[in-house]
Amino acid sequence: MDIGILVAGILTLAVFSFLYKDNPVYKAAESWLIGLSVGYALVIFWQTTIIDLLLVPLFSEGRLILIIPFLLGLMMFSRFSKKTSWLSRIPIALMIGAGAGVAIPAMLYARTLKQMSASVMPIIENGSLNIEAPVVALGVISTLAYFYFSREHKGVMGSTARLGTYFLMIFFGATFGYTVMSRMSTFIGRVDFLLTDFLHLIK
Amino acid sequence: MRTKIPLVVCLAFGVIMFAQYFSNHTIARAVYNNILEWWQIIFAFTLFVGVAAFIKNNLKSISRGKKDTPYKIVSLIGLALMPLLAIIGGTRIGSPFLWSFENMLAPMQATVFSLLAFFVASASFRGFRARTVSATILLLTALIVLIGRIPLAEMISESLPKTTFWIQSYPSMAARRAILIGIGLGSMTTALRVILGIERTYLRGE
Amino acid sequence: MDRLRTRWIIFSGLAIVVIVSYLITIKFKTAPSPATLKAYKYLDTLPEKSVVIFSFDHEASSLPEIQPIALAMLRHAFKNDLKIVGLSLFAEGTAIGYDLLSKTAREYDRQYGSDYIFLGFKPQYISAILGMGESIKRVFPEDYLGNMTDTMPIMLGIDSYDNIEMVVSIADGDRTVQWVEYAGARYNQKVMAGLTAAMITSYDPYLSSEQLYAVVGGLRGAAEYENLLDKRGGGSRGMLAQSAAHLYILALVIVGNIIYFRNRRRRGGG
Repeated sequence: MDIGILVAGILTLAVFSFLYKDNPVYKAAESWLIGLSVGYALVIFWQTTIIDLLLVPLFSEGRLILIIPFLLGLMMFSRFSKKTSWLSRIPIALMIGAGAGVAIPAMLYARTLKQMSASVMPIIENGSLNIEAPVVALGVISTLAYFYFSREHKGVMGSTARLGTYFLMIFFGATFGYTVMSRMSTFIGRVDFLLTDFLHLIK
Repeated sequence: MRTKIPLVVCLAFGVIMFAQYFSNHTIARAVYNNILEWWQIIFAFTLFVGVAAFIKNNLKSISRGKKDTPYKIVSLIGLALMPLLAIIGGTRIGSPFLWSFENMLAPMQATVFSLLAFFVASASFRGFRARTVSATILLLTALIVLIGRIPLAEMISESLPKTTFWIQSYPSMAARRAILIGIGLGSMTTALRVILGIERTYLRGE
Repeated sequence: MDRLRTRWIIFSGLAIVVIVSYLITIKFKTAPSPATLKAYKYLDTLPEKSVVIFSFDHEASSLPEIQPIALAMLRHAFKNDLKIVGLSLFAEGTAIGYDLLSKTAREYDRQYGSDYIFLGFKPQYISAILGMGESIKRVFPEDYLGNMTDTMPIMLGIDSYDNIEMVVSIADGDRTVQWVEYAGARYNQKVMAGLTAAMITSYDPYLSSEQLYAVVGGLRGAAEYENLLDKRGGGSRGMLAQSAAHLYILALVIVGNIIYFRNRRRRGGG
């Protein structure tokens, strides 16, 4: 048997042992996984960002402007000392500010306006009634009413908000159904590995 | 100074990144490109800070000789192993680094995630009750989707998958759309508050 | 103790149902959903040598579900002689993407550097997505293997989204949303997705507003795509086990409710 498959199989079974109860084998596998994940991320970030975007352009190509993000990046380490930790606020502020700046048009156009305009559908289409149009409009309006807390949910507002909860329940129900599907698929994938590659019960 | 400098930086970069959306001028594009690059570089450093904190906390725990010391040591060995393998054999296909990813990290992570299948099953039995009208709607929708998306459904009736798609594409989508619109409006407001320095929570937690 | 025993019965039941049904081979004809069909037709009708980005925006945890989708779509793209630019906006997607791309390319005898390339990973996805709209080579000066991107034959003539026909985001979270909201809205880049089933309902509004071109969702979506492609894979193989698992959950819900209502009636009666 391929040594890689053997290792993967043993580790898979070690993780599955948690289903019986929390045990040292599972805990060891879990710790091993955490360590490997952090180590893996470290390598990928170092290789694809620090080398490719910082060290090579700065030292080989002489793009001196990159000293600025280099210093700002190093400032992040100031968090380890109470005296200097305020310095880490500067690079964080840059990232938060830049993120907020690009988010405004994206949120306004791609998320809010596009979604609003897509909610308005023709009721009569090719001479026949488009029943989906009022369903979507009612669903969007009533769900928004449910999340509108500046007015008490009484009277028409109350009924609309209640209707909104029913639409929300449909969404949660559909999501639950698909989530079950997703989790089962992941388990089936592991079963496939164990039966096919590890135990050779299926060819 | 400790608060003012970050607020000014946030305001400046927020305004620049917002304004560049409306300009195609060469200088605006150059500034925009540089900031995007800086953003990535600084972000990478945040991971290194996280790794340093992880090592520090684990070492502290080991030095105190707590009960979980062996597990902390296992974690640290795992952490050291990946960079070591990358230095020795690179990260190409067939390298020990990729081997470790394929045969240790990926299978373990997928298995941890697959444990959720069992807890979903348990929750379906214990918590999924038709107690109220809302709960009944949720339950019925979930059941329709569960049946409607398996191949057996098509054998029973063609209308089963069609009903599933209809629910998914209209009533369920409408609720999700309203949530999205709400998030969009909320995110926009928060972004504006952050740029203007009204929202300052990111300055805490040093 | 009773509670614990019930838990073990439920767990064992699920394991038995899935394992036994997986050992049985039944070939299902899975009719494609409209979204899967749309994705298939798009890749099928793209002219040869068109450039498509495959972005592996997922973690290893969702690999069993997402790999069959990615594999089916990659096979389709390689079969139709499309040029593929692979990348990842998730650190873990990097090794997965590179591995999958290399292995699938070998099946169709495609050459690295001229038929496909893997650019690797870049952190801070928003800035990476926006940056590629200006210059892909600037965001990825080197590919995953350390080659200078601008020297690779496949990258000649590719510099931004203007030269990309479609972005296929293989995702288990909300990265595809960022592709839609930043690359799509700002640079008019067409985006489609291969998603885990759990994420499907979250993307329905984008699909409905046509901001997202198409979606291949979950193991079922993979099976549908494999069926269209006429190449059996992980999706098709898992369909019986998937059906059995769904019916098992259905039974659990029904039994759970019967017990609940029976107990409630008893309490009411008492």
